[in-house]
Amino acid sequence: MVIDGAWRALGPDLESLSGPGGAPLTRTVKLIVLPLIVRPALHPDFAVDFLAPEPAARLDALIRESGARLVATAQWFTLLKRTRRALGVVAGHPQDLYFQRCFELAAEHGEPAAGAGALARAVVEEVADADGGRTVDALKRYLADAAQQARLEGELAVAWEGRLSVPAADTAAAVALAGEVLEACGGAEGPRNSPSYMSMVEAGHGELLGRALWAHASGVWGRGDLPAHLGLTKRQLPPRPEVGRGASTATLPAPLDRTLFERLFVVLQSSARREELPTVPELVGREVGRSCAPLGLYDESLRVAVLLGGQLAVGLDPLGIEEPAPWHTAAHRAVNSRWRREASVLRARRMTVSPRPDPDGGVLDALAQDLRTPWTAYMRRLWVRLHGRDVRDAPLVDAASAWAVLDGVARSVMMDHRARVRSALRTLSASAAPTAVPEAAVVAEAAESRSA
Amino acid sequence: MTRASVEVQVTRGDDGTVRVAGPGIGPDFTRAVLDVAGAVLTWPVLEDPVPPSAEIHDVARAQQWLWAVYGEGVAVAVQACATGELSDVRVPADMTPLAGGAARLGFGHWAARWWPASYLDGIPALQPDVLGLELVALTHECQQLFDDERDQPDDCVGELIGDHQVALDPLLQWWHATPPSTDTARRLERVLRAVDDAADSTESDGEALRRLRWSLAQPRPDSAPVAVDPVALFVRHDDYALAAGEPLVAGGRVIARGAGTNDWRRYPPGFVDAAETAVSWTARALGARRQIEVEVVAHIAAPTTSGPLLVAEVGVDGVRASRVPLARRDDVWSGRGDLDLSAGETRPRIEIGVLLPGFDPGPEPEGGADRDAIRALVRRRLATAAQPIASNTAAYEGSSGPFLAEIAAATADEDY
Repeated sequence: MVIDGAWRALGPDLESLSGPGGAPLTRTVKLIVLPLIVRPALHPDFAVDFLAPEPAARLDALIRESGARLVATAQWFTLLKRTRRALGVVAGHPQDLYFQRCFELAAEHGEPAAGAGALARAVVEEVADADGGRTVDALKRYLADAAQQARLEGELAVAWEGRLSVPAADTAAAVALAGEVLEACGGAEGPRNSPSYMSMVEAGHGELLGRALWAHASGVWGRGDLPAHLGLTKRQLPPRPEVGRGASTATLPAPLDRTLFERLFVVLQSSARREELPTVPELVGREVGRSCAPLGLYDESLRVAVLLGGQLAVGLDPLGIEEPAPWHTAAHRAVNSRWRREASVLRARRMTVSPRPDPDGGVLDALAQDLRTPWTAYMRRLWVRLHGRDVRDAPLVDAASAWAVLDGVARSVMMDHRARVRSALRTLSASAAPTAVPEAAVVAEAAESRSA
Repeated sequence: MTRASVEVQVTRGDDGTVRVAGPGIGPDFTRAVLDVAGAVLTWPVLEDPVPPSAEIHDVARAQQWLWAVYGEGVAVAVQACATGELSDVRVPADMTPLAGGAARLGFGHWAARWWPASYLDGIPALQPDVLGLELVALTHECQQLFDDERDQPDDCVGELIGDHQVALDPLLQWWHATPPSTDTARRLERVLRAVDDAADSTESDGEALRRLRWSLAQPRPDSAPVAVDPVALFVRHDDYALAAGEPLVAGGRVIARGAGTNDWRRYPPGFVDAAETAVSWTARALGARRQIEVEVVAHIAAPTTSGPLLVAEVGVDGVRASRVPLARRDDVWSGRGDLDLSAGETRPRIEIGVLLPGFDPGPEPEGGADRDAIRALVRRRLATAAQPIASNTAAYEGSSGPFLAEIAAATADEDY
């Protein structure tokens, strides 16, 4: 509110950073005002939802002082957008890509002057080329060589054979601890950090689950009808990964059935922050070992997140038709109440699926069927997100950050569902004969490692 | 800024959600909803504009817009409820411009799903692409409601542009053909400029968008506008005329006939004529056999299918007995099935409902009065939209004023 007031006082020259009503854009606040001007880390008294009058006045002054620089930022942004159009660049969100660069340009050069056009062109091109050759094409070229393929196949065979084949121990204790962590996560007061999380990581409970998958354990989740892998593979046991040389977003297999190529394809497809990834040869080299590690992940905290996610997913009730079980945790209640809210919105938007199996099936029944086995979609998305973190060496350092990922995946699964219902209904209304429902979920998956 | 002030109740639920309660809410098809950052907003479409109800599940995220929608008092009350200082409080809410924009966006989404288009009732359909582009503009104007967390399906400018950009060229033509001093012209320009602006942020591209960009950069052609019939620009379904379907069965003795229930909740939009009388049935006796025929008038823009898609649910004497698959013949969905009636049964109580399998959320209590209220509402709106509005009114600046799709539909009204 203070930001809004100070912003409007700076006048009309901030148009390209403002919304149609004159307020700063959400991204202006998030990418420029907060991190570059307000800097709550330096001013802890700004980091609250409601400011007292004195800090409010200081905040107001701080923003007004930056007025000239903001005006220059706005002009640079307009220029960069125009340049982007002229160069035909459409990838990415211009505000995400350019806002901070514009603020830097404004600091260095003030308002755009002579020569600004060339500078803008250089920035737009630089941002567009920032991937440094970490592309699907580069991966394809790297794996196209037959000798390379043979070498990698050999390495995979050795790594797969060399898996520690200790018999799977009892997972019951690990699952019970997972319940404790989830109970601490989903409460009304927000996530509390649970010490059980770190002890799970130290005890290697995620690895334990990975080995249980290799040993074809059942009964891990306390429900005899559910396999230990919860759909992470379509087979009884995860197969030895192959190298592969192609992938199609529409037909990606279950995560642990994917080839090396397919696993890295998903990582490289996401456009954001590709420059932070290892180079393609490095990516491939590490993926050999990773794909033969328990759950296809190196980092133990990420494997524990798979265990937590599994325990969460088996208690999800997207259709709102099950009795809450005694082992359901605060996390289950939080996610299931979000599904209830979603169901109510979908009813108001006339986008329902029948909660009970329909005797006549119907095209929408496949979607309802997926909601009856929500763990498959959940685990698939979760794994992709965790894999993206593993590739980027980004472990989950505490229960709160693990919960942020688990919760984010739960939301994505819900978004996928709505997208699929929408697209199924559109297909029905647009065309004559009922056709297969497009797999929006799979298409959306490419976005996963981006949000990792 | 403040137009009026009403009191709202702010309460905290056991699960940590905070509710801002507006007026009571009726059946699904009378609710306009909007998924925004950290909350769901709801308006009753049958009532006068009011501040929305909000179910806030993430107060920290919602604070980015709460004050701008309800005013500072409500934002502070919500915060107090979230921290547990208060659990139930009544505070005055302002009617802010953002509240108006949000209500209009919510209503637009509602209209896209529940507009009761009917040949029988003479209620024209809204052109979905025109409505879709206006939703782009409104979403863009209400950006403050959304954040970056990617869990707000209504922050969907990119999809909307992708789905509805076919209407860009016709809207441009309509704009160029409309005298610049009129509100319709201003609304058209505002929508087109917002679409152009919004397209930048969504990786959208395409011929129609480039033409739009080019046109907006040119001065308006100053030749006198040629009158253009907006309807003609968008017509997709010509020649809808209710052709009586061929009789399904010849012969047999009619033992009863009647009307069924047309519950809009049980099938998606665009399939069935929204009139109360759209569902009808005839029971016949053929020897000892009892058969029922069901006829359902199709929506003006219903898909022509080769196979059955909808079904009729047949209840006899309070028992849900059977289903009859319905196939499209001309402008009617129809089908026939055996009826399990004892030969002596002369006055069976037959109930028919029409539904799409897999979509149907299940039957609900009668909603006939609310459906009538919705029809009356859209008739009033269409009547308003048909009136040329005096220039220089502020109607289009706020949340009131007809949608472009309503203006186009109302102008086409003579055809019905």
